[in-house]
Amino acid sequence: MGRRRPRGPRGDTVGALPEAIAALSQTLPAGPSPEIFRRAKFDRPEAAPALWQLLFRVLSPLPRDGASASPASPALEAQVHLVKSALRSQGYPRRALAQLPEDGSQGSRELLLALAWLLARGPLLEQLLAQTRVRLGDEIPLCECEALASAGPLPPRREADGPVDIRHLQWLMGKLRFQWRNLITSQQEQCALLGKIHSYTQGCHSDRSLGHLSVAETELFRDPEGGRQLLQRLESENARLEAALVWRRQELVFWKWMDTVLGACPLEASQPTFLPRIPTGGAGELELVAQELQALHEELRGAAEPRRAAWEARVGGWGPEQTAVQRASREAVGRELAALQRACEQGEALAQPHGPCRLVKTDARASGGPGLRAAELIGALRSRETRLEAVLGRLQTRCRQELTRLAGARPGLLWILPPGR
Amino acid sequence: MLPAGCSRRLVAELRDARDACAERQRQLERSLCVSRRLLRTWEPVETPAAEPAPGPEPNEEAPPPACTPSPQELKELELLTQALEKAVRVRKGTSKAGERHKALSLKSGSAAASATTASAPSRASSQAGSRASETKPPRGAHQTTVPARGLPECRLPSVGDRTHMGRGARATKPGPGLRDQQIPPSAAPQAPEAFTLKEKGILLKLPMAYRKAASQNSRLWAQFSSTQTSDSRDAATTAKTQFLQKMKMTSGWPSSGLSAAEAEAEVGLLQKACSLLRRRMEEELSADPADWMQEYHCLLTLEGLQAITGRCLHRVQGLRAAVAGQQLGPWPEGRCPRASVPCEGRTDPSWSPQLLLYSSTKELQTLAALRLRVAMLEQQIHLEKVLMAELLPLVSTRDPQGPSWLVLCRAVHSLLCEGGERFLTILRDEPAD
Repeated sequence: MGRRRPRGPRGDTVGALPEAIAALSQTLPAGPSPEIFRRAKFDRPEAAPALWQLLFRVLSPLPRDGASASPASPALEAQVHLVKSALRSQGYPRRALAQLPEDGSQGSRELLLALAWLLARGPLLEQLLAQTRVRLGDEIPLCECEALASAGPLPPRREADGPVDIRHLQWLMGKLRFQWRNLITSQQEQCALLGKIHSYTQGCHSDRSLGHLSVAETELFRDPEGGRQLLQRLESENARLEAALVWRRQELVFWKWMDTVLGACPLEASQPTFLPRIPTGGAGELELVAQELQALHEELRGAAEPRRAAWEARVGGWGPEQTAVQRASREAVGRELAALQRACEQGEALAQPHGPCRLVKTDARASGGPGLRAAELIGALRSRETRLEAVLGRLQTRCRQELTRLAGARPGLLWILPPGR
Repeated sequence: MLPAGCSRRLVAELRDARDACAERQRQLERSLCVSRRLLRTWEPVETPAAEPAPGPEPNEEAPPPACTPSPQELKELELLTQALEKAVRVRKGTSKAGERHKALSLKSGSAAASATTASAPSRASSQAGSRASETKPPRGAHQTTVPARGLPECRLPSVGDRTHMGRGARATKPGPGLRDQQIPPSAAPQAPEAFTLKEKGILLKLPMAYRKAASQNSRLWAQFSSTQTSDSRDAATTAKTQFLQKMKMTSGWPSSGLSAAEAEAEVGLLQKACSLLRRRMEEELSADPADWMQEYHCLLTLEGLQAITGRCLHRVQGLRAAVAGQQLGPWPEGRCPRASVPCEGRTDPSWSPQLLLYSSTKELQTLAALRLRVAMLEQQIHLEKVLMAELLPLVSTRDPQGPSWLVLCRAVHSLLCEGGERFLTILRDEPAD
């Protein structure tokens, strides 16, 4: 595959594999040269460091706009460690990877397999491109998942030093409330400024559907150096997108090649291994939801059982006509609940808007173009707000009842609720 | 004092919540800083004391210190400006071609910009006033050219390329050459007018190179996001599935069934399911059945919901076993990578940005405020659950007659029932004896 031969018109001859690999490496962030891939097939150690770094970059989330200012990467050893555990937590099946030396000096073929596994599993390239997307417009994240993703990796959790007084918790809560208030004020100001910038530059954009400039675009005029950098990033993103499109056309040949790579690996002997078990953070969440479900189950039983008893007592001597209606009822409820059951199992994609959104100020009259309407989103958010308020209120009521019950253990006290509410 | 384990967990949770908040604030501050700067005058020239030139909004806030150039910077700027002016004069003497002129402006613009991040003076080329006859500026404003410094193709909105000629001859004003873009052709040169977005934003025109790249970018994203399938893509999908299977078959790990990431996703699904079921139950209980058919319908629904909840509980059992049997460590240093968590189990999100149309600032503010409100409520609910799980058992296990019990009770009540905002009053109701 090293030598290039003229390709046939359909591109599926010998040159297709180098082309596919080249497209892949161009699409990946800081992708290694295609030669690295070829060497990895033969498990050459010199290809290993580059692939560890690539996997590290692929597996660790980047902070927003981190594409330009590359953050200081940790030492190779730390990268190796992180890659291993990230792959493991995603369910990567090969044990050979976990056994590679920590200094990152070996295992290029295993790493190639791991990369292929990540590529095969989901829209990896799409996610990576979306992660570093050059933001030209003023955007508002519609969904929390984006707000969180753009925030970058969480800092490592700091442990509290020792036992604290409950007043410390109250103090932290107060701080938190204060932070939210600040956030809301700043957000309001930002919206006002955006509105101004949008209306002052109305009609300046070459794209008619946008009309006005965004902050980033207006900055082009104020800060030409920044503008040049933006243009550069945009052009390199365009090149990556083009490469990704080539990859999509050519990837089949890569997968055929990966089959041969996998075939070259010795079969792993199945043997039970015991690694020290570390409790996952998900376990606490699981217990919370388990309690909630249990409580719900009890409530439902409490509501349904007396109704069933009353019903049985009533329907004693009913004729076939009522029975037919009953059957129809059963079928209707069955259909409705089947949908609910599906939603519970698969997490139905609610009609909640999702994905990046560019803010465009339009004349209220001139509506009809493509795009979401703020008014519709506001409606959706309001009903979400109401729902969440109800959930919170319910939880608080439950706490109030529980505390009232516990307070019964200490008679002779008057509990005076705070005013308001 | 709270027990050590409880303290650690709760403090960590609250810190996480505060960190998340602080990160949002940081992001906001960054954009605020840029937006504020754009809405002020861009050129604080002439007045090294950084007196804001007349023109900006009267109600504009005082700029944060980080955005204001220091006197030192301004002085350097002034020196640079003089040097550039001189360079232009020298260059002008030797250059007649418009192309070379452009190259100069590009160079000097970048020099000015790299010297300081504060508002730098405009580029050294003097090309204003060259098109006065061709353009009727909107809003009846002065003739103004607002170049994107360093990006050569910036020009007035309605001006074509053919106006390249005559530029060198017309606009030669050696003195205030750096700022002559802002000088109306007929006006006296001693009053350089500051640029404000409010007055002249409408004259901005994006450079050609940017326009090209941006439109190509949006075309590529659209192409990239299209769900169009083809034979080759279907074949690739099949090949990928087979590859994954083959990898699993040759794997040496005992198959543990669920990965940590999958387990976490499943917990998320169960949480959603639980709130979905609860909402449905409440709808059913709040409705008042009018006849026996509706009553029957209600009964069946409640029983059905009970069955579904039972199945969810069954899934919890399975998940507990999987989590307990896992030989997985969590994400090292820090927590699970958030970027890879798909939202709501969406399988085919749109990768290209869509448009969100708003009609007024007020509408935008409402939208943004609601978004924050929802995020805040979600956080509150999470914290409420965590606090409940830790604090309620504490109240019930401590001795009610002990000295600190009342204090604890009162604090817990405030945290759990009042969102920490209000306190209840406890009075001792002892008969005087």
